[in-house]
Amino acid sequence: MRTVTDSHRQDSWDIEGAGTLAVDPKELREPLVEGKPDLRDVTETVSGVVESKPTRLWYATVTLTGGLAAWGILTIIYTTMTGIGVWGNNQPVGWAWDITNFVFWIGIGHAGTLISAILFLFRQKWRTAINRAAEAMTIFAVICALIFPVIHTGRPWVAVYWLLPLPNQMEMWVNFRSPLLWDVFAVSTYFAVSLMFWFVGLVPDFATLRNRAKNRIVKAVWTFVSLGWTGANRHWHRYEKAYLILAGISTPLVLSVHTIVSFDFAVSVLPGWHTTIFPPYFVAGAIFSGFGMVLTLMILARKLLNLEQFITVKHIENMNKVLMATGLMVGYAYGIEFFIAWYSGNPFERFAFINRAFGPYSWAYWTMVTCNVFIPQLFWFRKIRRNLAITWVISIFVNIGMWFERFVIIATSLHRDFLPSSWGYFIPTWVDVSIFAGTVGLFLTMFLLFAKYIPVLAISEVKGILPGAQPSHSHH
Amino acid sequence: MAAIDSQTYTFTDRGRFGIAALGAGVLGVVLTVIGAFTDTHTFFASWLTAFAFWATIVLGALFFVMLQHATGAVWSVVTRRAAEAMSMTLPLLLLCFIPLLFGLHDLFHWTHAEEVATDHLLQWKSPYLNTTFFIIRAAVYFAAWIGLAWGLNRLSLAQDRDQNPAHTLTLRKLSAGGLFLFAFTLTFAAFDWLMSLEPHWYSTIFGVYVFTGGFLTSMAVLVLFFQFLRGANILSDEVTTDHYHDFGRMLFAFTVFWAYIGASQYYLIWYANLPEETMWYLARWEHGWYVVSLLLIFGHFVIPFVTLLFFRLKRNLTVLRFIAVLLIVMHFVDIFWLVMPTFSDGGVHFSWMHLTAVIGIGGLVLWLFWTRYTANRAIPVYDPKLEDSIAHRV
Repeated sequence: MRTVTDSHRQDSWDIEGAGTLAVDPKELREPLVEGKPDLRDVTETVSGVVESKPTRLWYATVTLTGGLAAWGILTIIYTTMTGIGVWGNNQPVGWAWDITNFVFWIGIGHAGTLISAILFLFRQKWRTAINRAAEAMTIFAVICALIFPVIHTGRPWVAVYWLLPLPNQMEMWVNFRSPLLWDVFAVSTYFAVSLMFWFVGLVPDFATLRNRAKNRIVKAVWTFVSLGWTGANRHWHRYEKAYLILAGISTPLVLSVHTIVSFDFAVSVLPGWHTTIFPPYFVAGAIFSGFGMVLTLMILARKLLNLEQFITVKHIENMNKVLMATGLMVGYAYGIEFFIAWYSGNPFERFAFINRAFGPYSWAYWTMVTCNVFIPQLFWFRKIRRNLAITWVISIFVNIGMWFERFVIIATSLHRDFLPSSWGYFIPTWVDVSIFAGTVGLFLTMFLLFAKYIPVLAISEVKGILPGAQPSHSHH
Repeated sequence: MAAIDSQTYTFTDRGRFGIAALGAGVLGVVLTVIGAFTDTHTFFASWLTAFAFWATIVLGALFFVMLQHATGAVWSVVTRRAAEAMSMTLPLLLLCFIPLLFGLHDLFHWTHAEEVATDHLLQWKSPYLNTTFFIIRAAVYFAAWIGLAWGLNRLSLAQDRDQNPAHTLTLRKLSAGGLFLFAFTLTFAAFDWLMSLEPHWYSTIFGVYVFTGGFLTSMAVLVLFFQFLRGANILSDEVTTDHYHDFGRMLFAFTVFWAYIGASQYYLIWYANLPEETMWYLARWEHGWYVVSLLLIFGHFVIPFVTLLFFRLKRNLTVLRFIAVLLIVMHFVDIFWLVMPTFSDGGVHFSWMHLTAVIGIGGLVLWLFWTRYTANRAIPVYDPKLEDSIAHRV
């Protein structure tokens, strides 16, 4: 039997007896870190980003995104003072951009949870370089998402009273049978757990920054958030246990949040909404859109922050594979839904789908199919999976496609329901567009602040995947 | 007792397992065929149940092979040959499928011309639900699956001979495309063979549900099989507690996923409460069927879920064996629950033919599986990931 002489599992694969048939061992298992950085390089590179002065480009971008966010806030204030009538929503399309944006943003967050929870449990070591940023995106995306249902209540200052089951003298309760209420529970749990997970992961890195800080005020801040971390053996032991437990708790959240979101539609009897594949289909779509956003931002971040060594082409390629797999799942759902709409023999069901593809919103439907199903097929080619420029462009298409998916589901099913006399066509107003653009600005602003002031890579985790960091297996 | 050469991993003695399985298989098939003369209707229903039970397991094994290749998994390399050999029983399942073609009239009432003539919905569906197209589709499914299984086995075995690691990359590519093909063929097979038993009913998630049960059970079969080999002291150093632990985790994950898919389907139909959808679940609740439904919830989900939650229990081979047996039995209950309510108006009827058909088809499948498995090396000895797989520690 063949013997293995390599000293390390991660960075090399010795293929004896392969002779002229040998393949590049890199193709079988590529290293997760390029070059030969030592532990210090990792600390220096990542802490360097936090400790250096922001560049002009950073200021310029933050001004732009912050301005967009401010415009969004102004239009939210305008909406609140005037009424929801300033939006394009009206009978029969009572849910439109607001819920589309809500589902869109919630979906964006799912890459973070998948990476931090499921990929961790599946021992996918490549997650370490991207988990921190993806988890941050989760938190920011959920914040953006929550804005929409709250402002859609019209009077957000009493939203707490409507959204939460608060005991009261009139014994008026929220409707426990409504998936909209479960959304409140699901999304708030999701937010809380994601935040906790993110913070726990950050503690050792905060301690690193604390130890390096020169300025007393800065040092005080890092001291406060690093919770007395000393890097003692006992600390690491507990940290790893806590991390595993949080990963376990987060795993069901990957499924539950978007399952509940899909219930918002699927528990109804509306054709195009009521279909049993919705829960797993929404989850797959959420992960798909989340990875799209992670790619969009991380391809830029790795370049601007000089992290190419740690976020390698292999990371990008792996994410592209996830994108392709989840994109195909979404495509599968589109196909099966269409088939069953015909197979059911239900004329309303059939009409909903034909109307989607060939009715007034066909432009939106085909945008969705093109962006989500056709374009990601380019990733079957290894060259394209490893081409950063093309990947970036495709990731933008995925973001667009997934926004349209939610819009198509929501608008097409509502605008022509059972009664032709009440058919309509939804057109967004400038306020709809402004508020959505505002959340994009808010999301990017938060991400930029994060990328500048918080370690974008999990320093300790990246050290764990450096060559030589793991105990090598015994020689035979 | 079977025996293996510890250097080359080739079988020196195949033992009696193959003969025993073949004997049981032939006996089972003969008894079931005798049953066909007493009660044709029950025969076909039982045969379909047994066929669907084994076909979903074998297809689950095919999926297992492709999933491991496509994801570049390391831990599972030592176990892959068994799953590969399992997928090579597909031609036999094609043979087992053929008798069903003679029972289409007994099984599927969309084949009854007089019923279709008076049923608007069945008329609508007739471009899809008609005998000719049904057979063509089945041929396409089997061609795809047998082709995939054949290709995956051929390349994997070629690596045993030429030691070429490049096969691993080819297999990865083949599996990525194969998974896509697999998803669609299995879904439509589930629609055709199981969902169309109740031709008025439809559910978009049905294919995923059938797939999940089969994939889960195929891993339960692998757990039992490697423990069986362990009893003969074969691969006991290669397939370690850590591999069982990982199987335990996979069983846990997919038990939960099965419950998630099943619950999603039930829940959405219950909530919307449309008669054309709820009738399917009503048939699985009334006339005593609720016992079977509850059995599934507890046996297929609650018990394995609670057991596999614990670290130590996943590493306890006896516990894992119990759970594997439970899941296999429950998969049968699941298929029985999918198929039989259509055929039993007045309650749950478990015929002796169910037992003989499952043993019959199963015996033949296991015989061929054992023949295929022992004909080659028990592990892919020149897979570049093999060393890491053997050394795998959780």
